[in-house]
Amino acid sequence: MASGAIAGCLGALLGLGGGVFLVPFLNAWFGLDFKTAAAISLVTVIATSSAVSAGTAGRNLINLRLGMLLEVASAAGGVAAGVTVARLSDITLERGFAVVTALIAVLMLTRLERRNVIVDTTVDPGPLGGRLHDEETGGEVVYRVRRLPVALGTSFLAGNVSAAFGIGGGILKVPVLNAWCGVPMRVSAATSSLMIGVTAAASLPIQYANGYVNPPLAAAAVLGVLIGSRGGLWFGLRARAKWLKLLMAMVLGLVSIIYLRKTL
Amino acid sequence: MNDDAPSLGRLEVRLGHLLVTGVIASAILLAIGLGFWLSGSHMTAAAWLLNAGLIVLMSTPILRVLVSFAEYVAMKQWFFVGVTVLVLLELTVTVLVALHRLSAFP
Repeated sequence: MASGAIAGCLGALLGLGGGVFLVPFLNAWFGLDFKTAAAISLVTVIATSSAVSAGTAGRNLINLRLGMLLEVASAAGGVAAGVTVARLSDITLERGFAVVTALIAVLMLTRLERRNVIVDTTVDPGPLGGRLHDEETGGEVVYRVRRLPVALGTSFLAGNVSAAFGIGGGILKVPVLNAWCGVPMRVSAATSSLMIGVTAAASLPIQYANGYVNPPLAAAAVLGVLIGSRGGLWFGLRARAKWLKLLMAMVLGLVSIIYLRKTL
Repeated sequence: MNDDAPSLGRLEVRLGHLLVTGVIASAILLAIGLGFWLSGSHMTAAAWLLNAGLIVLMSTPILRVLVSFAEYVAMKQWFFVGVTVLVLLELTVTVLVALHRLSAFP
């Protein structure tokens, strides 16, 4: 339950499900097999998604239209992952995961000083963009969504990864939306948080039916994550975007190292 | 875009209420179920409560998509109605596969 609380706190902060921390914990320390660990983690991903989105709703941070459009791809990825994953070994998957997280960490570090918002509020945000009140400059800012196919492709991959590893998939979507698609960090995180619930719901019922979800352990993890996500939410609304990115890069680097060590 | 910003904002708040209700309901079921399970008594009730909590939790995001669908229909935003239908179809496939597995291996 304590690990659930820590995972939930960090997850809420970064728009990730928190599964990135929970899966290695349940798998490596608690000794559960990978599929059970991933399924329990997916349950907490839905809990984090609902709790965090309920907390951010009304702040104009969630981009509902972009989220729903990307959910088409991420849910398809979730459904498809069942087939894909069965054909790959755990080692192959874990190695791939280590490489991907390392790449995103590097990408994040190179974009630390970049800001995606346009301060001129007369600019048309387009059908998928939006406006929001920016805490750092104190005024209203506008952003446009760019490279939509990249966002859709990433969401599909995120759906795959989510179902395979029991993570939210925000670990892929948030950096890509932020660095390549012009979406501000907080909007990326809030929109991703909303999306991961549906992404997880697109594969979890199958894992639940297969008996991979251990109900008492899942309950303990969910309750822990719910407590932890309150803390993450509070901190996330106050922290500076630069520090959020730095923390995210560090977390990704750590996860990458853990998985590399596991598979070598 | 800006004409429908207030209705999108209302949808965001409504979805927020739905999500918080789902989370609280499932957390209560899971907490009581876990309590029973840890105490070692009422194991049938514990199993029922734990599974009910998990099912409520899994249903919440699906309900969220259903509410979005109804709202986009009300707003007459047909492109997003279509997008929401696609997501619902994908979720239906998952639920059907899960129900099929459950009936195959009880």
